Amino acid sequence: MEHSFLSQLKQIGEADLLIGIPSYNNVRTIGHVVRAVMGGLAKYFPKERAVIINSDGGSTDGTQDEVRRVQIEDYRAILTTHPVHPIHKIVTPYHGIPGKGSAFRVIFEAAIKLRAKACAVVDSDLRSITPEWVELLLRPIYEEGFDYVSPLYARHKFDGTITNSIVYPLTRALYGKRVRQPIGGDFGFSGKLAQFYLTQEVWETDVARFGIDIWMTTLAIAEGYKICQSYLGAKIHDAKDPGSDLGPMFTQVVSSVFGLMETYQSLWKEIHSSQPVPTFGFQYEVGLEPISVNVERMIRNFRLGVKDLMEIWRKALPRERAHRLESIARLSDQEFVFPQELWVQTVYDFAIAYHQGVVHREHLIKSMIPLYLGRVASFVKDNMESSSNEVESKIESLCQIFEELKPDLIERWT
Amino acid sequence: MSQIWKTAIVESFNRFLGKVLIFLPNLLAMLTILLIGLLLAWIVKKMMIHFLKAIQFDKMSEQWGLGRILSKGGLNYSPTHLLGRFFYWVIVLIALILGINALEVAATQSLITQFFNFLPHLFAALGILVIGYLISVFLGQAALIAAVNAHMESAKTLSLAVRWFIIILSLTMALYHLGIAEKVIVAAFSIIFGGIVLALAIAFGWGGRELAKEFLEGLSKRRKEEGQDKISHL
Repeated sequence: MEHSFLSQLKQIGEADLLIGIPSYNNVRTIGHVVRAVMGGLAKYFPKERAVIINSDGGSTDGTQDEVRRVQIEDYRAILTTHPVHPIHKIVTPYHGIPGKGSAFRVIFEAAIKLRAKACAVVDSDLRSITPEWVELLLRPIYEEGFDYVSPLYARHKFDGTITNSIVYPLTRALYGKRVRQPIGGDFGFSGKLAQFYLTQEVWETDVARFGIDIWMTTLAIAEGYKICQSYLGAKIHDAKDPGSDLGPMFTQVVSSVFGLMETYQSLWKEIHSSQPVPTFGFQYEVGLEPISVNVERMIRNFRLGVKDLMEIWRKALPRERAHRLESIARLSDQEFVFPQELWVQTVYDFAIAYHQGVVHREHLIKSMIPLYLGRVASFVKDNMESSSNEVESKIESLCQIFEELKPDLIERWT
Repeated sequence: MSQIWKTAIVESFNRFLGKVLIFLPNLLAMLTILLIGLLLAWIVKKMMIHFLKAIQFDKMSEQWGLGRILSKGGLNYSPTHLLGRFFYWVIVLIALILGINALEVAATQSLITQFFNFLPHLFAALGILVIGYLISVFLGQAALIAAVNAHMESAKTLSLAVRWFIIILSLTMALYHLGIAEKVIVAAFSIIFGGIVLALAIAFGWGGRELAKEFLEGLSKRRKEEGQDKISHL
């Protein structure tokens, strides 16, 4: 921890609430995020002592200056009065592996030093954050006695494909809690939970990067903390090329999920069904911008994987599964379909292969990307004309297949 | 005259017989050493495998990643059996050398001295080859996966190129270490790889200008198309 950061924390002493904002070159959006957070604190927690911490990964575009500069000039404009206590803002760089997890580590440390009762973290590239998010993420912790608040968003039917096709159904089947957005990126958590997170020795692993979200959610569930979810409305990010991040994003998230399966194997083997978790917030329909998806490119990549990576896949997949994948690859673009059941079995096969270490683990997960793209292509084709509710039912049926096939996973997990 | 011949032949035969009588115990000693060596090697191998199984060496190797390296390197033996075989052959080799030494033949003794001087280099060269092979398999696989994920149609060719480059490099290093035609090896390596790079440069810069242009334009077009895909994966 930086000396100047430590002295700023000492100067503040204690805080009731803490909001962390991890960032890296987000000058275009971070001003809006900080204003929304300040507005939310002033509006919903005017009497509480609050601190905003920007944990920055060495931005070169003036992100840190923007955070220092941003203020709410006129609180009346957002229909609130000045908060009783000034809202402190601290901007600090983080050290260690570059990534979101390392940024969160600094926020956890600050939460403990300030003895914060309720904390939240929000992404710095959000365009849709409103002051209400602050209340929805903090109040369940601060007043309702929960330890962890997971977000619930209205998203485009084709958004969040790693969440919808792997992370949500697998986490739900394994740990028995229906947390719909386990890697949402914006969370609320208690000071007690922050302290627990900080005691874990994971800061040199993928958890320090994109793996942090699923790690936080899984630990909260598996360690028996009181969890809930809050409906935040639409989630709109700053525009960027999503394809450019797929490789590391997929690898870090999936390796964290599979790694946690090893840690908590004795727990999830005993869980045979799933339950919903308490949900806060007023749910409403949101109009979302259409997004373009290049299905042909995804299918092409799947076929390329079948042609060139089958040798690696065969170490993880049973023979009949490999044959089925080969036959799918022979289908035309119009006929292409990657059945849900085959996808679930494939995910379980890879989880087992990861556990048994039959192939170098990073290679194994990276080699899974063409399979994932094949499944996403099939999902998009299948739901081109479906409404959001219909898509949600399809995801629900996928989750049920994950749960139904779990005994097979348990049996083969040695 | 015949007496002289008779004496010469008898003496010669006696000398030969004397030498055989001196050599025979050495030969017997060599055979005994070899037999004992083989028996000892077999016992040590069995004991070693038994011991390694008892301490769950295979499981430990899996945790250290050794098992994965071996399986990726195409070696189908378990680490326990591999170590057992290694000790077996080391003892057999030692027994063989001790046996040859027991013959007390000047030529073989000088050969053995040379062999022992050469042995560390041989082991180092073998080590370079084994490590080189394992690295080539690992990096070849990494290149293959990365190329497939980058949508490259020629992913397998690239992977093979990476693999063979490392194998040839390690072979060159091993031969250089053994001192076998050092200068020829270095020159051959430089010529082959320098030649490949030069050929590619000429092909792209001169002969294949149009092809290179088309390739780069295609790449740029594909990137633009890919940019249109706005799906958010997380």
